[in-house]
Amino acid sequence: MKKKLLSALLCVAMVASLVVGCGGSNETATEAPAATEDAASEEATAEEVTIKVAAIETAYGSDMWTQVCEAFTAETRIKVELTTDKNLEDVIGPSMQGGEYPDVIHLATGREAALTEQFIKGNMIADITDVLSMTVPGEDAVVSDKIAGGFTETSLTNPYGDGKTYLAPMFYSPCGLFYNATLLEENGWSVPTTWDEMWELGDKALEQGIYLFTYPTTGYFDAFFYALMYSVGGPEFFNAATNYEEGIWETEEAQTCFEIVAKLATYTNPITPAQANDQDFTQNQQLVLDNKAIFMPNGTWIVGEMAEAPRADGFTWGMTALPAVEAGGDGYSYTWFEQAWIPSGAENIDAAKQFVAFLYSDVACEIFAAAGAIQPVLGIADKLEGDNVMFYSIYDNGAKAAMGNFAAYESVAGLGTVREVFFDPVNSLVSGDLTMEDWIASIIPASDQMRANLK
Amino acid sequence: MKKDKRLIGFLTLCVAPATLLFFIFMIVPTFNVFRMSLYEKGAYNPNETFVGLANFKALLADPNFIRSMQNMILLVVVTTLITFGFSLVFAGILTREKIKGQNFFRIVFYIPNILSVVVISGIFSAIYKPENGMLNSIIGLFRDMSDPILWKGQQLVIVSIIIAMVWQAIGYYMVMYMASMSAVPESLYESAGLDGAGRLTQFFQITIPLIWTNIRTTLTFFIISNINLAFLFVKAMTSGGPNGASDVALNYMYSQKDAGLYGYSMAIGVVIFLFSFALSALVNKVTERETLEY
Repeated sequence: MKKKLLSALLCVAMVASLVVGCGGSNETATEAPAATEDAASEEATAEEVTIKVAAIETAYGSDMWTQVCEAFTAETRIKVELTTDKNLEDVIGPSMQGGEYPDVIHLATGREAALTEQFIKGNMIADITDVLSMTVPGEDAVVSDKIAGGFTETSLTNPYGDGKTYLAPMFYSPCGLFYNATLLEENGWSVPTTWDEMWELGDKALEQGIYLFTYPTTGYFDAFFYALMYSVGGPEFFNAATNYEEGIWETEEAQTCFEIVAKLATYTNPITPAQANDQDFTQNQQLVLDNKAIFMPNGTWIVGEMAEAPRADGFTWGMTALPAVEAGGDGYSYTWFEQAWIPSGAENIDAAKQFVAFLYSDVACEIFAAAGAIQPVLGIADKLEGDNVMFYSIYDNGAKAAMGNFAAYESVAGLGTVREVFFDPVNSLVSGDLTMEDWIASIIPASDQMRANLK
Repeated sequence: MKKDKRLIGFLTLCVAPATLLFFIFMIVPTFNVFRMSLYEKGAYNPNETFVGLANFKALLADPNFIRSMQNMILLVVVTTLITFGFSLVFAGILTREKIKGQNFFRIVFYIPNILSVVVISGIFSAIYKPENGMLNSIIGLFRDMSDPILWKGQQLVIVSIIIAMVWQAIGYYMVMYMASMSAVPESLYESAGLDGAGRLTQFFQITIPLIWTNIRTTLTFFIISNINLAFLFVKAMTSGGPNGASDVALNYMYSQKDAGLYGYSMAIGVVIFLFSFALSALVNKVTERETLEY
């Protein structure tokens, strides 16, 4: 009898542990403290609302998000359930497949899992055009008066080209070519302002065993290629190309772009492609720190990312815009920025919109800036410190800002992403397994297919 | 009679949880994979449209898929052959020969199996580093290394993955072969020795035929596990790069889900499922022999 009882107990324990194991709760969620008493005069409707915010944790850390959520709750009495993770897609993805969406998601396009792109392609993002005319909670200013010019007019924020804004621009960073300023100084080399000067420098450096160029992964070519397209053909060519206009890749401008990339491939440190994957890309960045390559395309986060890495004596970061095609031409630096958006399946869209508006408040901008994340708001330049002062002044020093990206298109089996079609082959160009002609020949039919499936 | 009923009741109760879990977590998802391969939808989009066999038709015309299948088949076949050969020979040596430090070697060979694939990938990524990796440093003793060998470059990346996979798998299969080899009676070898059979003859005439059942089982293991391991290694070492040179079918399936083609990636899943099933059945059929007993 005793034995039976014991075995029954064991069975119950086993089943119970199974049930507990399956029903794990989301432990990353932290609840902001309840609103303070003096905010009690706020609207009664806002009192019971709790919004779910999901934000990617990047080089800037996740503390700033906790602080911003607390500040938001103190201001509006709307509670926030915050989820942050380095692999946010894996954390929020499964429940979204089940139809449960966070109210606000901060996750940029261009990531490998391409979650934001899928929401854009699926028309599953709420229209937030009206947020631009909302007053920032706790301030008198209207959101659109705070956001710096141009940021809400790109295809990254208005993906369907219908004049409506779906994604809010967040943390911007000028992208350009990063290098060791000390190395150039010691050798008496000047920073090239045209591509011809670039090749000259490449030849001179190679005599000393230093390669001209490297890149972390081919993913970094998007910002590079966008800026290149701008500097070769200006905004018109860029818009035509990013909308896959017919015959665009056979034009002279496109040929120039391809030739520059192909020539750059011959000046690239040959070990680059073998390390140009998500696991080893920091070793390519290390090539610049070790003076084995001069330039690499990157963003301002590189300083924080490589802060702990060993480096050549006297190393100092330098950053330059892409050189102009001919003397006197325009140099461009791509402005990379992240996006925050509201899934159209979210429960509390109104409260979520308030949260998005709050992200541009002075309070939020200061919290973000303290962590190194720079919001695209007017007057942010005064809050910069350290290397960032030099990086963010790139546009004051003559470089023009390039913004935008390839237009979204409906996924087609076998077509591949923009990165796979346009930029991954650069690895093969560098290793010599692919010629420029073959590269272009593979882009043209893919571009035709993309045009046919434009959103 | 009453006792029988209670016994049946008890047995049903014992088996029910496992059956239920198996049904929910194995049968239903597998069925769903087959069903979804006939539809198209984004991973997060609730709307699905029936497209019939269009996904499979697209697969046949997709050069990236064909390349990833080729890579997968190459990895499965070559890794299986090399691992099979090595582990059989090592097992033969460690069971039949009297050598010093037998146990030591047994443990050394088995250690890779305890490590997770991610750790092994990390180790091999360090070994393959172009500039100061172990492999290039050793080769650098004998030749000029100003132009380093790119182990993870486009030309060699598959070879590099094969080496890592073989290293990982040898110990496991070696232990399996050793277990059945040590069950072969010593007397058979003694009498064969008296008849003048050498070591090699003994190995091929006695050892191999007598552990044949075991070899057949492991061949099926090889196919199934290599398909999975190829994905893990590629994901952790190269993400399919450079420029897709090391992409395998499962990795391609994964990336197509991210590209917003959920149905298409499920169609790839179906092809891999049928492929591994068919290959296992084929290998099983080809290796069929009359079972020898001792």
